[in-house]
Amino acid sequence: MRNIIGTAALCAAMMAAGSAYAFECKRGEASFDKPGGFPERALTMIVPYGPAGGSGQVAAAMAEAVTELTGIPINRDHKPGGSGTVGMTAYMAAPADGYNVLEHIDDASSAHALDSSMPNPADDLIPLVVSQVTFSQVYIRTNETRFSDWPSFVEWVKAQNGKATIANVSKEGSMERITMGFITDASGMKIQQISFDKGAPRYGALLGGQVDALFEQPGDVRNFLDADQFKPILTIFDERPAAFADTPTHREVGMDFDPLLRFRGFYVHADAPVDRVEWLKWAFQRGYCEDSYQAFNESKFMTVIDSYRDTNGAKDLIARSIEQYREVYKAMGLDVK
Amino acid sequence: MIENFLAGSAALFGDPFTIGIFVFGVVGGMLFGAIPGVSMLTLAAILLPFTASLEPAQGVMLFAVIYCTGTYGGAITAILFNIPGSAENAPTAFDGYPMTQKGQSGKAVGAAVLCSAIGGIASALVMMAATEPLANWAIRNIGPPEIFALVFFGLVVASSVGARTIWKGWMSVLIGLLIATIGQDPVGGINRYNFGMTDLAAGIAFIPAVLGFFAVSEIFVQAEKKASGKYQAPKVSMTFPSFIELWMHKIAVLRSILVGFFCGILPGIGATLAAFMSYGEAVRWSKNPEEFGKGKLEGVISAETANNAATGAAMIPLLALGLPGGALTAMMVAVFQMHDLQPGPLVFMLSPDLIWIVFAAMFYANLSILIIGVLETKTILNLLKIPFQFLAPLILMLATTGAYIGRGLVLDVMVMFLAGIIGYLLRRSGFSIPAIVLGLILGKIGEQNFAQGMQMVHYDLGTYLSRPICAILIAAGVITLASNIYRAFTSIKTKA
Repeated sequence: MRNIIGTAALCAAMMAAGSAYAFECKRGEASFDKPGGFPERALTMIVPYGPAGGSGQVAAAMAEAVTELTGIPINRDHKPGGSGTVGMTAYMAAPADGYNVLEHIDDASSAHALDSSMPNPADDLIPLVVSQVTFSQVYIRTNETRFSDWPSFVEWVKAQNGKATIANVSKEGSMERITMGFITDASGMKIQQISFDKGAPRYGALLGGQVDALFEQPGDVRNFLDADQFKPILTIFDERPAAFADTPTHREVGMDFDPLLRFRGFYVHADAPVDRVEWLKWAFQRGYCEDSYQAFNESKFMTVIDSYRDTNGAKDLIARSIEQYREVYKAMGLDVK
Repeated sequence: MIENFLAGSAALFGDPFTIGIFVFGVVGGMLFGAIPGVSMLTLAAILLPFTASLEPAQGVMLFAVIYCTGTYGGAITAILFNIPGSAENAPTAFDGYPMTQKGQSGKAVGAAVLCSAIGGIASALVMMAATEPLANWAIRNIGPPEIFALVFFGLVVASSVGARTIWKGWMSVLIGLLIATIGQDPVGGINRYNFGMTDLAAGIAFIPAVLGFFAVSEIFVQAEKKASGKYQAPKVSMTFPSFIELWMHKIAVLRSILVGFFCGILPGIGATLAAFMSYGEAVRWSKNPEEFGKGKLEGVISAETANNAATGAAMIPLLALGLPGGALTAMMVAVFQMHDLQPGPLVFMLSPDLIWIVFAAMFYANLSILIIGVLETKTILNLLKIPFQFLAPLILMLATTGAYIGRGLVLDVMVMFLAGIIGYLLRRSGFSIPAIVLGLILGKIGEQNFAQGMQMVHYDLGTYLSRPICAILIAAGVITLASNIYRAFTSIKTKA
């Protein structure tokens, strides 16, 4: 019963938030003249990750929404590998004619922060829209008996002398590893991070008791939250989102660092024809407002906080992220180029 | 259970549109599974947006059916032309293609049809009977340490597949492991052996490597024979395996079902590892392991039974826990979500009708493999009558397309041709191509799980071996390794 009430409350909060954003974005222009007949054929969207993951799904949802809105089909070309670098390289080599667009996540910003020869998503590309912005949380099993909230978790972890484990995607320089570094430094605990690059084994590790906790974004574990199998004990965000009103933020438990956000968006070459870029901006920003895309974002907990950034908002977000990552990398002693 | 199954069957066959979707899934899965490069994943990705307009049960059922028949589809080209349609059919080519060369193509294809159906149906039945308890057992008892132990065991067996000597077998495995290290390491994301090439950071893709090692190197071998006047076209045989022949392999079938099911139930593992592990087990338990890789029916039976047995098993963590085992089951999660459903414990309570339609559809899809397989086989076998000078360019064209289409990278085509040349040279020297491929696939899985497992046990071997499944599998691997080395030395002494 508690589960059902909790889920209903969560959904109500999300729907309220989602409706507000959808209303806000629908104030934009409902139509936009095609510049010189562009586009007169299908667009190609390069996706640097596989079709089944978070990027693959957001790419599919946005492609569907833009096609619904404009009638222009979008072919998705998945080029996974190298933490998104394979897809980015392929995109940079594609013709800058406006017919090729790119989906990418914040990994592009962190890659540029570490190595400035990698494309800067805010300068070398033009962000059409950022359509998903989310925060991270630390989860435990709901039926966990050794600890039940953040303070008891920290106490338990400290007692294990470094033998406690947390599942995440802890690749060198990743948002997950850096944030976990902030958390362990601030809380004075030592925890072994176990890196799983695929979601299912990562979530299975927590469900099956192979690890003690999980670092993840809420949209990716929504079914486990709905089924009352996972419980968030820490939100890494400046304020408590309404959907997670019972979970303390990292600042509330005494940690003073700026949270790194996960964001996914769509881009076009910086040297694409200006009028075509304007049309693409309209199509993708308005595509965000389509009912099908809003429903998708709601299903992924992406309306809990404001997920929408237009071109300028996206540039700000990317610039701040790059600056933040670069400072952290320098502090970590990494070779920032 | 029977009542639910009958209700699911009635719902499946009670509506003409649902039947149409089922038939589309069966035929589409087989076709896309059979063509290299365009796997069942390609079909699933194309269909994903369209499932939004279907009923939830129809959408999920369509993907489940494609999963079953797509896993079988690649066996035909693997057997007839040494071109595995998908990664999970690669071990089928180890013995299937040599059987074709020996004029036993009918027997190999017949065994693949029958055993795919048996593996799939057995797995579907277990799935219907015990989805929830099995899923809970698997996630509690099998983690990265156990998966690494399983891979270690598989690698030990791989060394005895198809090479002229055990030393060359081990060298072949090590070559495969070396190739598997190219690209970003699976834990830290550090680039290795990519020589500054971005595309290589993603590693060597499995399909281009397999197409090169199998199909392209085979064309070189046959072309050499043609040039030297030693070429003999494979005889077209329409003889299916007899009941007695199949009955003699009942233990292999049973073992393959168990191996396939075990691998399929583990999140993130799935049908490919199932086929490879099952093939390895067949070699390990055989009294004549040296016959594998040279056209042994048991090799085909083991691989094809296991990969289809993994399909039903992979649905268990998906449906019971919401954990997809591979890319196709991950797409099924998207189908659920499109209809505001989430796979996991709640779906059994909230949508039991959907679950039983899917279960019934998977059962009948595996049965369809048997019926369609038997009907189509004789037609397909006639492809072997195409003269080599026409067949070779056709295979090269298909292989090149298959290598390129997966990621759209020219690099993959280059990898395929390079693997073809290396494979040709290594085969002439008595190295084992199946062992290289086993090293490649198991190396990637093994390295990741080794690193995760070591982190979990805090780099303490004692803690690692205190996990019972790890201890048993590592001990079995070490004993097998020692026995192989002993046999190799004994053989040298006998020859001396």
